[in-house]
This record gives sequence, C-alpha cells and structure tokens, in this order.
Amino acid sequence: MKVLLAIFLLMLLLPSYSHSAMRMGEWGMVMNENTEQLPQGCEKIAGEDKILIKAGREYAKPFPGTIFGYSQHSFSFPKCTRVEVTFINEDDIRHQFMIHGLPSYLHPQGMFHMELYGRGETSGTFITPNANETYLAHCDIAQHTEKGMKAQVIVGEGSGDLPSVPGITGQINKDVYGFDVGMQNVALLIALLLVGLSVSLFFFLRHKQ
Amino acid sequence: MKKYPVLSLLFSAIILSIIALALYDPYLLNKRFFDYIGMPSYQAPPQSKPKPDMGVVTVCDELYPEWRKAYTIGGVDIQPSDACNPDNPYEVAAFVLGTNNVIMPVLMRTQLSDDAVIKTNDIDGDGDPDDIIIRVEIAELNGRSPDGEGLVPSFDIAPGIQPGAWVFAPKSRGMATANRETSAANHLLRLPSAPIRVEAGDNVTLILENTHYFPHTIHLHGVDHSYSNNDGVPQTSEKMTMPGEQHVYKIKPRHAGTMMYHCHVQVQVHFMMGLQGLFIVEENKPNNWVQTFNVGAGKVRQPSVGVKEGFDQEYDMHYQAIDTALNNLIQTSNDPRQLAEKMNRLYDITDGTDDYFMLNGRSFPYTLRESLITVEADQHTKLRVLNGTPEILALHTHGHKATITAYDGVDVNPLAQVTRDVYGLAPAQRVDLDLYTKDDGLHSYGEGVWLMHDHAERAITNNGLAPGGNVSQIVYRKYLNKHAMPNGEGEDVSPYFSPEYYKGNVPSWSAADAFGFFDDAGDKTITSVKDVVLVIVLGMLLGVLLLLLSSLYSFLHGVAVKLKNRQS
Repeated sequence: MKVLLAIFLLMLLLPSYSHSAMRMGEWGMVMNENTEQLPQGCEKIAGEDKILIKAGREYAKPFPGTIFGYSQHSFSFPKCTRVEVTFINEDDIRHQFMIHGLPSYLHPQGMFHMELYGRGETSGTFITPNANETYLAHCDIAQHTEKGMKAQVIVGEGSGDLPSVPGITGQINKDVYGFDVGMQNVALLIALLLVGLSVSLFFFLRHKQ
Repeated sequence: MKKYPVLSLLFSAIILSIIALALYDPYLLNKRFFDYIGMPSYQAPPQSKPKPDMGVVTVCDELYPEWRKAYTIGGVDIQPSDACNPDNPYEVAAFVLGTNNVIMPVLMRTQLSDDAVIKTNDIDGDGDPDDIIIRVEIAELNGRSPDGEGLVPSFDIAPGIQPGAWVFAPKSRGMATANRETSAANHLLRLPSAPIRVEAGDNVTLILENTHYFPHTIHLHGVDHSYSNNDGVPQTSEKMTMPGEQHVYKIKPRHAGTMMYHCHVQVQVHFMMGLQGLFIVEENKPNNWVQTFNVGAGKVRQPSVGVKEGFDQEYDMHYQAIDTALNNLIQTSNDPRQLAEKMNRLYDITDGTDDYFMLNGRSFPYTLRESLITVEADQHTKLRVLNGTPEILALHTHGHKATITAYDGVDVNPLAQVTRDVYGLAPAQRVDLDLYTKDDGLHSYGEGVWLMHDHAERAITNNGLAPGGNVSQIVYRKYLNKHAMPNGEGEDVSPYFSPEYYKGNVPSWSAADAFGFFDDAGDKTITSVKDVVLVIVLGMLLGVLLLLLSSLYSFLHGVAVKLKNRQS
C-alpha cells in the first residue's frame, strides 16, 4: 500500500500531464487556452471577437466528396484580438477544432485544441498573434481533415490560403474523375475543339498568303 | 535506281549479319563450331555489383523500455512484457479499472477518452464491476491526403510497407498522429483491431462510434447475443451505422471463450480491410477485473482470474492477410464516392491474391519487435489464435507440440484434446493452445529460439520476398538481449529492417556472404577487341539497312511518279 501511495504521490509531482490551461471531462476537453497572456508585439488586447463553429456531417452537404464539415471554413481576425470560440458538435462521435502553428510560448506545441467526445457544446479562448499569418484549423481524427474538416484562420493580412479547404481552395494531390459523355458535354467539347482547329488553320493560311 | 546496288546491299547485309553472329556466339551458327576451330578463349564474366547501401537500420525502435518491467498501478498487477515497445502499463491499468475509475494522472498518461471504458456496479457482489460500457471508433490507416503524396496516418506493417487498412480502436482523444511532427499514427491506431475482453455474465454495452467515412456495423461472431438490433447484419438485424452516428450493442454473454467481432457491411471488403478483432469472454470468477482492450494484441499484461488459474501467461495472436489490390484502393482517391465504387463494385475478391501476411498487425521482421512468445522452461502459456485471413492457416511451432484446448470458444474434452505441431484454422476460426515448455521431447525439445509461422509458404513472405510474413518466434527468455530482441545463433537479421530489402534491391544472402558469391552479377561492358569489332559490325549493318530502306523509298516514289504520268 505504501508503494502505491508513493507511486501516486510521485505521479502527482510529475508535471507532464497537466497544464493550467486545460479542462477535461466526460464531455471532451479544451487544451492550451489563452485568455490573458499577450502575444509578443501586442501592447494590449486590441479587440474582442466571438465565433460559433458547428461541426458535423450536416456541413459536408454543400461540398461533394466530403463526409464531415464545419459550418464555416475560413475565419478572419485582426491581430492581438481575443477570440472566444464556441464549438458545437452535432454528430454522435468525436470531433475537434484544433488550431495549429500558434506561438509555442503561449500554446504548447503551437496548438489550441477543442474536442467534444460526442454531441455537445463548449467554448474556449485564444488571442491572435501580432502577425500576418494563416493558421490551419482542423479535426485531427483519422481522415476527418481529408474528408472536409479543414478550415483556415486568417490573422491580419494572412499569409495566403491553405490547400484543400472546402469551398475555398483546391486539392494539390488531385482526384481524377471520368469525362462526362452526355450530349451537352460532348457537343461543347466538339465545338471548342473546332474553334481551336479553325483558329490555328486561320493563322496558318494567313501566314502562307 | 539501278538493280545492282540493291543486290549488293542485300548481300552485304547477309554477310554482316553472319559476321555479327559469329562474333557474338558462333555456337548459334553451328553447334560443332568449336570442334573445328578449338575452344573459345576465356573471357571473365562481369564483376559483381557493389553491395547496396542499406542505410542506418534500427532493429528495436524502443521508446519506453522501462515499460517492460512489472508494474502495480491503482492496485492492478501488470505483468512484465518482453516486447521492444511494450504496452503502456498506465493504459493497461485504465483498461482493467475503467477510464472512469483511474485517477487523472493515470488517464493523462494514456491517450484514451474519459468515456472509453466505463466500469460500474458490482451487481453479483463478487468484487468486480458488472456494468461495462465499451466505446470503439474506426480509424483509417495509410489513407490518402489531398495535400500531398504521403499517407495519413501512416502505419508500417514492415519496413517501408504501408498498405491501406481500417481498424476498430478504443475511443481516444487528441491527435491521430503520434505528435505534430510526424504523419505516423499514434499507438492506439494500429492493426489489428484491438482485442476486446469481457467477463461472462457482464452487462456489456458496446458502442460503435462511426468516425469513419463509410457505413459500418459490429457483428459479435460467436459471442452470445440477442438478435434484434444486435447482430450487426444490415440485411437482417439492423440499419447500418452511418458516418457520424453511433450504435449501441447490448450483450450479456453466458458462455466464455475466444470469439471475434467484425464489421458486417460489404464483408468481403470491410473484413479484409481490417475491421475484425478478437472478442474474448472470460469465465466469471470473483474479483475478476479483465483487461478490456489489448491494443496491438500479443501479451495480455493482466490476464483474467480464470486464465491465471491454469496458465503462467497469455498471448492474443491475430493472423491477417492483405491484398494490396483492395487495401491500397483507399490511396487512389480522396472522394468516398469513388472509393465506394472501386471497393464494392470494381474490386473482385474472387480474383484476389494476398500480398502481405501479418501476425498482430505486423509482418516479419517487425513481428520480432512485438509478437515474440517469450517463455521460461516448464511454463504453461495460453495462446488464443484467430485466423482472420481468407485462406487456411497452418500454424506450425518449431521445437514444440502444443495442445488444442478449445475450438471456436468451446472447450475440448480433456480426454479428446489433440497435441500437435501444425494447427489448422479455417478462416474466422479460433483455437486456444496450451504451449507447455516442459523439455520432454514431446511438448518441448528444450530451450532456444524457435520459429513459429504459417506453413502455407506464401505466408512467410512480404509480397513474395522472404523472410517476411507472419513469421514469429517462441523465445526462451535467456536468449533475449537488453533491447528485448532475440539473440539467435543464425544470420544477422538487421538487414531485414531496411526498406531496401523488401523493395527487392538486396541480394537475399548479402549480409552473410563475405565472398560475394551471391551478389548481383554486374552487366556486360565492351572490353575485348571482339566486343569492339562486333559493335562496329552492327553499326555497319545498321548503315546497310538504312540504305536499303532509302532504295525502297526511291523505288516506291518512282512507281508513284510513273502512275501519275500515265494518268495525265
């Protein structure tokens, strides 16, 4: 029993498992929140903002070939702004809203992480850095990012778009689809080919004259 | 054009061809050539190619070797493990006690969600909980990413081999990858689907949370369960569980034994993709806290009370096979509609051939890292074997004859038990083996490092390259080195840990072959005068042929002109 107690006390002393900015329970978790600490270069909290993100398969409907999605896939904030994120999960499985690449002195591993173990709602806060940067936000459950749960958080001017964000940018490793051989599509194909052909013939003949 | 040059060109072509043949190999011209002119002079065959660069190989990629020792966590006695990367003892404790019953510091040392395994209510008052809620998710391994060519989250079954797969996994939390810097899956997301253990008589609520992008179910194969909404069969008992949905299976199994669970949607695809796992019902005993999940199968670090009564240790052994023509389809598109078409309608399992053969989710040499059966003399080891491949498994143990104590979760009458060294398992069958290490010339031939493998020889290869497949070993512990790897007396196994070997770039016996007898032969170079002359003659022949072509053109052109003149 003494050994057990000793192990228990030893484990309490180990710092690796707990951060002050962590809430966790049977509902899910919010990790590496930042409500107060100013990012470097921010003199003060320049403003307050609130966003609502809903997650679930419902939001995949507008984007063919995806299964899961967010209610919004791009967010813009000014620099040094405190953002309160309300995250709602409408599915009966786990979903996450995880922002990557934030300053690691504020967020361990650069991550602000919200996770719901099932249907439910939670909220968490982070402060946008003093940088023009586009951050990745996603659900890191296997294949959820790939199947639609990918978003971008643009701070200030941003630093360009991220690839394969539903409704915003295309894929880099592209899916290949067959060619529609319906009347309309084929007619359009032939017409356009004829246009190209006549243009080149026209230039060729004029050159000969 | 005159006729004369054409004839002379033809003549030259024939002469040059004969000269070329004579220079290349006169034996082709006349079988007795060398009898007339004497034997050919010695020309050394090409030198061997240099031995390939294998890169730096890691035999055991150990992360937490300290986890190998025995632990007691929260009152749970966790047996030592000899795996290169043993199961996380804190996770084992959380599985035994329930994620609801461990203190936060223990749970934080796992990657389990708080509600993964909930254990409450000792209804029969025998000292262990009887209401058990188990949550499983479905993860894809080695899938496609629209952002690049790397596979996500990745899982190597053998060095550099990443076939696509789906698995049932305990409900977890956080990232799918081991950390932010890698695309490698975290340790909970792996082949095989995690073995599940419950106690007979428990009220088990098994919740399938479908985190995957296709519909799925769970069929509790061989486990006592009622029919309605509970059998996992879309054609009969229930609707499919769609992405984002969950399904609750309620069972109270009356019969103990080694069973299985698998998805019953498009079974010929989903079963082979990896949605199959061991489901073990342990005997109902007092104070019987069973280890609900055994991630990665292999050694059970906290065997049940019933198993401990008859055995010193217990191993789960799940055999699987992969046809990359099916499994790697998930790497060809990110669009689930295309994948559904390719997998369900275009792939034809009746034309399928298996390429990779795994024991507990890995093929040799990675089986050495985590699927060794490590024993001492005079021990009883319980092996629960599942054949998840689509063919007969002919499991053979070197140096040992084990006793089959149960088939498909039903005990064999002790008088009728069979002791043998090849255990045949039809697809989906289970046998329980008693591996008794008594050196009596029957049960064991003595201590050593003894192979254990499927004797259907294709299964000892990785896509045809041996050694590979589901080869593992029964190792007496004194033969283990400090990295928990077997110190055999045979050839060095480290070359097999290089991806180069399984790309087929390395001669099979390269490491053992100091003389280079069996290195790859080099290719022919132009070295002798004969070679030089031969090439020049071939050049001349080419010139003559070109001239002939040119004459042919002139001839045809002349004919055309004549025809035209005649018309006008």
